Amino acid sequence: MALIEDDHPEFDVSVVVIVYNDEARLPAALRSVLDQTLRGVEIVIVDDCSTDGSYDVARRLAAEHPERVRAFRLPENSGGAGEPRNVGIGHTRGRHVMFLDSDDVLERNACRNLLEAAERDGSDIVSGLCVRLDQDTRNKKRDAWYPWLYARTQVLDSVTELPDLFVWDTLSTNKMYRRDFLMENQLRFPKGMFYEDLIFVAEAYLAAERITLIPNQVYFWHVYENGAAKSVTNRRHEMANFVHRMEIHRRIDVLLAERGLHELKLAKDIKFLKHDLVLHLRDLPFRNASYRQEFAGIARGYLDSLAPEAYDEVQPIQAVCAYLLREDDWENLLPAVDTLTNRDKISAPLVERDGHVYWCAEHLDDPFGRHVLDVTDLGYHTRTVDRMFLRNALTGYEERGGTVRLSGRVTNPLGVIPEGARLTGELEFSARRRSLQRFRFPVSALWHEGAYVAWEAEADLAGKLRPLGIVDEVWDVRLRLDVDGVRTTTRLTASEPDLAQGLLLVRPRLTRMVADHVEPEVSQRGHLAFRLVTRDRVEDKDRVRELVVRGVQGTPGRLAKSGVRRARKLRKKVTSAETKLRVYDEVFSRLPVKKGLVVFESQLGKQYSDSPKAIYEELRRQGLEFEPVWSYAGSPEGFPTDATLVRRWSLPYLKALARAEFWVDNQSYPLKLTKRPETTYLQTWHGSALKRMGFDEPAWKLRSKARQDEQQRVLDRFDRFLIRSEHDVRTLAKAFRLKEKTLLRVGYPRNDALVHARERELAEGRRVRGPLAAELGIPEDRQVLLYAPTFRKHGGRNGRFELPFDVERFAEHFGDRYVLLVRSHYLTHVVLPPSVRGRVIDVSAHHDVNPLMELADGLVTDYSSVMFDYALLDRPMLFFAYDYEEYVHEGRGTYFDLLERAPGPVVRGEDELFAALESLPEQSVKYAPERERFVAEFGEYDKGTAARSIVEQFFSHWSRG
Amino acid sequence: MSTRTRHPERDVFFVSNSVNELGGITSWSHQMARLFTEAGHRVHVVGITEPAEPQDIGTGLPYPTTTLYDEHPPRVGPARGIKGRLNLVERRLRAAREAGMHEQAAKLTALFRRARPGAVVIVTQVWAMEWVTLADTSGLTVIGMSHESFAYSRSCSRYGRVRKFYKDVDRMLALTREDADLWIRQGGMDNASFMPNPLPFMPEVPSPRTAKVVTSIGRLHDQKGIDMLLDTWAEVAPLHPDWTLRIYGSGEDEEQLKRQCTELGLDGSVAWMGRTSDVPGALRGGSVFVQSSRGEGFPLALMEAMATAVPCAAFDCAPGVHEIVQDGEDGLLAGLGNTGELARRLDTLMSDKELRDKMGDLARQNIQRYTTDEIVRRWEELFAFLDR
Repeated sequence: MALIEDDHPEFDVSVVVIVYNDEARLPAALRSVLDQTLRGVEIVIVDDCSTDGSYDVARRLAAEHPERVRAFRLPENSGGAGEPRNVGIGHTRGRHVMFLDSDDVLERNACRNLLEAAERDGSDIVSGLCVRLDQDTRNKKRDAWYPWLYARTQVLDSVTELPDLFVWDTLSTNKMYRRDFLMENQLRFPKGMFYEDLIFVAEAYLAAERITLIPNQVYFWHVYENGAAKSVTNRRHEMANFVHRMEIHRRIDVLLAERGLHELKLAKDIKFLKHDLVLHLRDLPFRNASYRQEFAGIARGYLDSLAPEAYDEVQPIQAVCAYLLREDDWENLLPAVDTLTNRDKISAPLVERDGHVYWCAEHLDDPFGRHVLDVTDLGYHTRTVDRMFLRNALTGYEERGGTVRLSGRVTNPLGVIPEGARLTGELEFSARRRSLQRFRFPVSALWHEGAYVAWEAEADLAGKLRPLGIVDEVWDVRLRLDVDGVRTTTRLTASEPDLAQGLLLVRPRLTRMVADHVEPEVSQRGHLAFRLVTRDRVEDKDRVRELVVRGVQGTPGRLAKSGVRRARKLRKKVTSAETKLRVYDEVFSRLPVKKGLVVFESQLGKQYSDSPKAIYEELRRQGLEFEPVWSYAGSPEGFPTDATLVRRWSLPYLKALARAEFWVDNQSYPLKLTKRPETTYLQTWHGSALKRMGFDEPAWKLRSKARQDEQQRVLDRFDRFLIRSEHDVRTLAKAFRLKEKTLLRVGYPRNDALVHARERELAEGRRVRGPLAAELGIPEDRQVLLYAPTFRKHGGRNGRFELPFDVERFAEHFGDRYVLLVRSHYLTHVVLPPSVRGRVIDVSAHHDVNPLMELADGLVTDYSSVMFDYALLDRPMLFFAYDYEEYVHEGRGTYFDLLERAPGPVVRGEDELFAALESLPEQSVKYAPERERFVAEFGEYDKGTAARSIVEQFFSHWSRG
Repeated sequence: MSTRTRHPERDVFFVSNSVNELGGITSWSHQMARLFTEAGHRVHVVGITEPAEPQDIGTGLPYPTTTLYDEHPPRVGPARGIKGRLNLVERRLRAAREAGMHEQAAKLTALFRRARPGAVVIVTQVWAMEWVTLADTSGLTVIGMSHESFAYSRSCSRYGRVRKFYKDVDRMLALTREDADLWIRQGGMDNASFMPNPLPFMPEVPSPRTAKVVTSIGRLHDQKGIDMLLDTWAEVAPLHPDWTLRIYGSGEDEEQLKRQCTELGLDGSVAWMGRTSDVPGALRGGSVFVQSSRGEGFPLALMEAMATAVPCAAFDCAPGVHEIVQDGEDGLLAGLGNTGELARRLDTLMSDKELRDKMGDLARQNIQRYTTDEIVRRWEELFAFLDR
């Protein structure tokens, strides 16, 4: 390291600060550089010929720090950030160069951290985390710029090692460049163009022989959304802007092509579809036809240059939009853009062809179109109308005498609203800020019109809409549609600009000083709303508004706001788990225990199922008098109507638990609840263990002694724990460190039915199907297979479980012999294409797996504990262990090797699976002895009498009604 | 631009909770103090208070030491809620503590004033930083250190205190880059960097690796996970009846662990060795080293074992562990808490003499990257960098 000589300063870093008409904010930017922890930093200020005092501010600072600060001025305004930065580069003297805009600031340690990395790694570019701070919000909302790129320190010998960096972090400002590197490669910004950063950074990345990324925050980007002078990025609707963007993209593509970097190009194409195009597409509904045409003309040329593979790597709707734009199909594109903006919305009528669901009926003869428009995987076809957010396009808007006549049409995808359905509807006006008032107007006519349901309504806004004024400035409109008693809610989309216009007289309740009219407007998401405005008394309005603003921002407002905040905090505290626990401990637990009160819970309240259900039904069957309470999480649907239902964690739930004579559960009541000694806790548990459990799991072992003791206290709440074999004693009982006296060797009540089914089958010599077969529409001549895989944490998006085999191939191959029931874990869901309808059925919504097992003539599973129960039926089992090694070794480990003891063939791949299914009858015979051994080992106490003997032992003293 | 001229020889202050508290940080600071003294720096080791449990640091240290308090400063938590604020006894205690802190910080200020330009204050523990914060450190470079993994700090009150008291130090040092990255991104410490610990000793004679002995060295305390080691051993011992597990160390959990050992039926293959003062000897007596900790920083025990050419099997409980042991190369790592996996790792090493020899020799060679010379050089570089 060179010694620093005082009279010939040699700077480690030069920061180029550019400014244009920003005298107010410039000092803060400069201060952030002068205050750097690294001392050897100089500033080069370049003023883009401001018309305000920016240059004076700059010169003053240069005079104060003559060695460290210099100010320069362009002879005329260049109109962009590129030229001033180029001029700045020319004046730098430091070994490294950074760029800072006059309205932003550097983090205090930025130069030190970037320099350390640059010298350590010998990097041409070091880049750190940029954080956007929203200056318009009270707490300066933080938004880190592509933070996943900066999770840890990374050193790259080429940007091709991390394509995401190249395509996403296109800022020039959060980086430090070796000055010689800039000079040798003649890296400069393009002049007089927007998005100058994109090309500069792209060239720099490609030229760099080493790049270091550091996780430190280096640059704070101050964002002023509501600012009068909008920056380039929020003026993006301008056509010139789009033209520049396209031009920059073309230039970068040339750079990539010259170097033969196809992988980077693909990554960039993907980003273009995901990001650049989306930004502009979202504006289209607000633009007129000529703008749209011009936009499409420019975009189409560029879209043709994208790799088709890119379409597969983006969200389906993004691909659909790009495709329709390329095809110039505005009829379908505009609704698609609606979905692009409102993700949940279903905006196209959709069509089903050959068992697949397509976005629209057009373009399906084009193989690529067919591919892109296939939206089967989105699972729209599996939703009921109440779970759909349908597009509702406004087609007419007419105002007369204070009354608005509205008409529109609701998309009816795949005919989910059937012809002949009983239809009613109403328009609902509600204030955007939470308000107590809602105003409803009936829909006067509703009728089917092709793939749409058209409607008409009249709303007498002048007469009926009575806002308060001031507090409820914006009113949203929704159309609620009842389809045979099932409700779906839509928003009104103004699909063409200027469709809704004109003032309407209204009478706010508080004051007419601020507003006396409403005016239709369209929200950013394209939905119709009404805003309170004044027409006549503009001065009054301003005066009152100023008064209001002063009130809100002054002392009274502050007090009121802090009061509201405090009240909210208090409410949060009162309804918090902590308070509830205290009520449980200090109030409910002091009430006497109620004889005969039993609280049942299954799978944390998610289901009415399993052994708690079996015990409950046995109690009912014997006609015992008791007070049953069932806990539910989410919806009470499917739970018994002859029991008291309480929501998990609600006060009634806690009260019932505190007063119960019995807790009957198969997993765990809330961990923090202390069980009273007078209450008996029957822990039925929910399955024998293959995976290591409890204190045999690494995660449990790791816990500190104190946390282990705490966990043990939770487990010690169990008074009795059901055991179905000595395997359970060796595994579960040991893993939970249960005492011998708590073990109840009676088998699982839920399995009684399975044992009975097997006995019946043996006695009658045939298998009788229950009512479920008809309910699911299973023909008599098909065998039933149940596919019940275990839960996997990773893989699949949004809790989606992706089937590990080609379900269409299955249906094609075995559809004439088998019906496959798919039951995913209760925490996940699957989507099946319509093509397999009737041959593969999703039964995940069935709470209780027992009737499914009874129905199934064979089971396919991987490692689910269903295997232990299903074995009791003595029917063929198949183990599709496609990720066995990963599951066993990378997970928490297993108690035994499934490969050795599986009572059926273990298969790894799809072909093997299908081959095994082909020979199922033979396999069944071959594995009979294994199944017998398996049952003996894992189900020795399951004799079909579990529920009865538990009722006898614990509840028989109750009277019978 | 700095007008300060650079002194190759500096005043270096180590400020710790105590000068001679029992533990790794004391050993580390005296080792570094010696090394810096040998490099020509003027070192001063400062402790805030007397330790609860002292460690023998020998006499005739080549540098002065100072302890600020004569007796431990009053212990009192922060005031919580109205009740806390109204508690007069606590309030008085708190006021007394604060006054005392200022008084002691003034002593630090006086020490710092006498330092020549370019002096460095190395705060080894965040508790001690509370006093350094109150002292006048203008003109000095202040370095705050966290001698444990980020995750371990995260799980206790030190996390908040590190973020508070080390926020404005010139450099906050974690033990590994991975820890530093976590402090930066999750802890918001943009001044964080890292510095590994030096190898405590380099034994002349490596282990012959002939004895069928697996060695474990560590306090018999929850953190060291000896309970998990016994669970692990229960899976390995039956496969290798001729091997012994020697557990060195003593501590509060001794009785309970011995009971667990008996319950697992391992009394025949586990030897409880008690606390040892001859670590090199203990390591030389084994052929495999095992570490089963729940949490570590930059574990010296692993470095020492490797320096003795003994291959290690360990839970990968901290970035420091996989920084030291290159898994599959010069030792074997298992998922934290996965006793089955650790058992398999041990089994691998115990079954294969050739592998033991290969990994052991490589370990002794690879661990050289943390020799004292190397670490001192990195510190000197850091001092110079922070002057810029």
